[in-house]
Amino acid sequence: MTEHKTKNFLHYLLPPPNWRFSVIIVLGILVGLVIHIFNISNAVSYLSDEPQTCVNCHVMYPEYATWERGSHGRVTTCNDCHVPQDNVIRKYMFKASDGLRHATMFTFRLEPQVIRIKDAGRNVVQENCIRCHANFLHPIALRSIGAKGIEDDTERVCWDCHRETPHGKVHSLSSSANIIRPDVKTVVPKWISNNK
Amino acid sequence: MKSLSERIVENPKLGWILFIVTVVVVVLVAVFASSIFERKNEAFYTMQMVKPIADDETRNEVWGENFPRQYESYRKTLDTNFASKHGGSVMRDYLETYPDLVVMWAGYSFSKEYNQGRGHAHAIEDIRNILRTGGQNSDPMPATCWTCKSPDVPRVMEKVGIAEFYKGTWKEKGHDIVNPIGCGDCHDNKTMGLKISRPALVEAFERQGKKMEDFSRQEMRSLVCAQCHVEYYFDKKGHDGVPYLTFPWDNGFSAEDMEKYYDDYEFSDWTHKLSRTPMLKAQHPDYELFMTGVHGKRGVSCSDCHMPYKSEGGVKFTDHHVQSPLANVANSCQVCHREETATLLEDVYERQDKIEELRGIAEHNLAAAHLEAKIAWDNGATDAQMKPVQTYIRHAQWRWDWVAAANALGFHSPVEAMRVLGTSIEKAKDARKELALVLVNLGLNYPVELPDISTKEKAQKVIGLDMDYLNKDKEEFLNTTAKEWDKAAKERQGTLIKY
Repeated sequence: MTEHKTKNFLHYLLPPPNWRFSVIIVLGILVGLVIHIFNISNAVSYLSDEPQTCVNCHVMYPEYATWERGSHGRVTTCNDCHVPQDNVIRKYMFKASDGLRHATMFTFRLEPQVIRIKDAGRNVVQENCIRCHANFLHPIALRSIGAKGIEDDTERVCWDCHRETPHGKVHSLSSSANIIRPDVKTVVPKWISNNK
Repeated sequence: MKSLSERIVENPKLGWILFIVTVVVVVLVAVFASSIFERKNEAFYTMQMVKPIADDETRNEVWGENFPRQYESYRKTLDTNFASKHGGSVMRDYLETYPDLVVMWAGYSFSKEYNQGRGHAHAIEDIRNILRTGGQNSDPMPATCWTCKSPDVPRVMEKVGIAEFYKGTWKEKGHDIVNPIGCGDCHDNKTMGLKISRPALVEAFERQGKKMEDFSRQEMRSLVCAQCHVEYYFDKKGHDGVPYLTFPWDNGFSAEDMEKYYDDYEFSDWTHKLSRTPMLKAQHPDYELFMTGVHGKRGVSCSDCHMPYKSEGGVKFTDHHVQSPLANVANSCQVCHREETATLLEDVYERQDKIEELRGIAEHNLAAAHLEAKIAWDNGATDAQMKPVQTYIRHAQWRWDWVAAANALGFHSPVEAMRVLGTSIEKAKDARKELALVLVNLGLNYPVELPDISTKEKAQKVIGLDMDYLNKDKEEFLNTTAKEWDKAAKERQGTLIKY
């Protein structure tokens, strides 16, 4: 039954014989372009936890540079804090929705000079602060910081006080003018590498 | 149901609609692709340079026109006002502080003058001023001694070749090397990415089968420093007599690994004037020592503490005032350690004090061993009798120096520093035990009476240095040859600022 339907549908779409050549060419162009986009956008990298992925877009350079130079740079990746870590499904759902928004904003040049975290991201970061630092937190203090009552406006988050952790207080694209792109490779001049 | 193609035959308009929809989809996909491409390209221009920097530009102030904040902070390495308990940017006369060192280096120019290094921007001035590089009437050092002092070095090396650069004397190349350690030593002039500009580091890793390109950026933030802040020696044997700058890393990075390397190669820096021992002089194995410490093991880089991130007027940048982190605890230590500044300083000083205590024990015994060995020689000791003594002295002083010559008085890795000093003390004591036997066998009483070396002046007299002559000769050099160098350099590069 299903097989029959599929056949019917394919038959419905099938172009007349004298059109087939053109249709194949056009479909080829489309598929080629999509492969090209996959390639130049480094799409596969988004499945990993590599911090380098987050600087596929240069607007994240300040975040990357400040993380790298802060106390968290030695022990965490971006995803450790900015993506849910409690289960795989939630993690990738979050990555997908966040990623789609980022891609849209970036494509239409809607990114602000000062990038601020949205509510969904904020909650995830708070979760992750607690995930690692739970041992340092008194249970009563923990509640007052906000493991509970996320909806409550008066609720507080760790970085209300720890304001410079981990990206520092000065924070915008224009404030980090001289960041060296993390993908810039180390240079060994030819006169050294060729000297054998 | 009719197929789509049948419907198009019936209604040609549908065909046109399909055609236009396809055009729109392809255009959108293409626009998306070109947008990604464009935005990727934007990333290449985040580093904006007002004036492109020429490949052979070595004047730091010219680089600084593009990067005023980095340059201004670099200029602060000229400051000599910060003194921590044991270090800082002030000039300290180590021979004055530790007079034993004069005797320990008898016959080697470190006994003439040895100071706590000042900031990078003083590099040229200080290498010209130091008595070790001789005066108007002497030229004791090879050109190799310039290697770490200036971005002019890679410029000249590229032009004349690496071995050719190391060839000849220090004075022959003085006119060509005038800009102090600066931008081009660590940065690429086009991308500002980190660059290795000295061959010795690349060569040492190559012998271990490692490529510079494989190191992470975080590791590179230490390795640019490790181009110079390491133990090295001048290998004449392997390079037709040219003192080729080489890192003794082939067996490993520890004091013992390097000691074995030197022993196997039968290398010595000089023969001691008093004990006639073939000695080793450690340079500053800062990188090697640091890597054994807790900070090194946790992946902290040199730049994290010595060049922390800084914000000024709403702009963030790396502080190029390379200095003691103790002068800037807030941006260095306190990024990770949540203790009070005073507490952190106390922790550092406590470790340094203890290391200094052990250092002192090693120094007293080593100086005494050299003096006692001289008395043994003077009283007819034989080579066979002295051989074991000399081996102990050579190893003991190498190990002491491996810790003492490194910056930060051992703080880069207190436990390893203590361990190596411990073995140094044991060997120095062994040397003196052997010496006591030799002296007694020669018919002398033990302990023998040793000369007074309680101050730098007394010690320099004991080893027979004519300091008046050395100082005068240096002054003459500074007033004549050094000035000619500056003149020649100014002609070559157009401008020459005084640091």
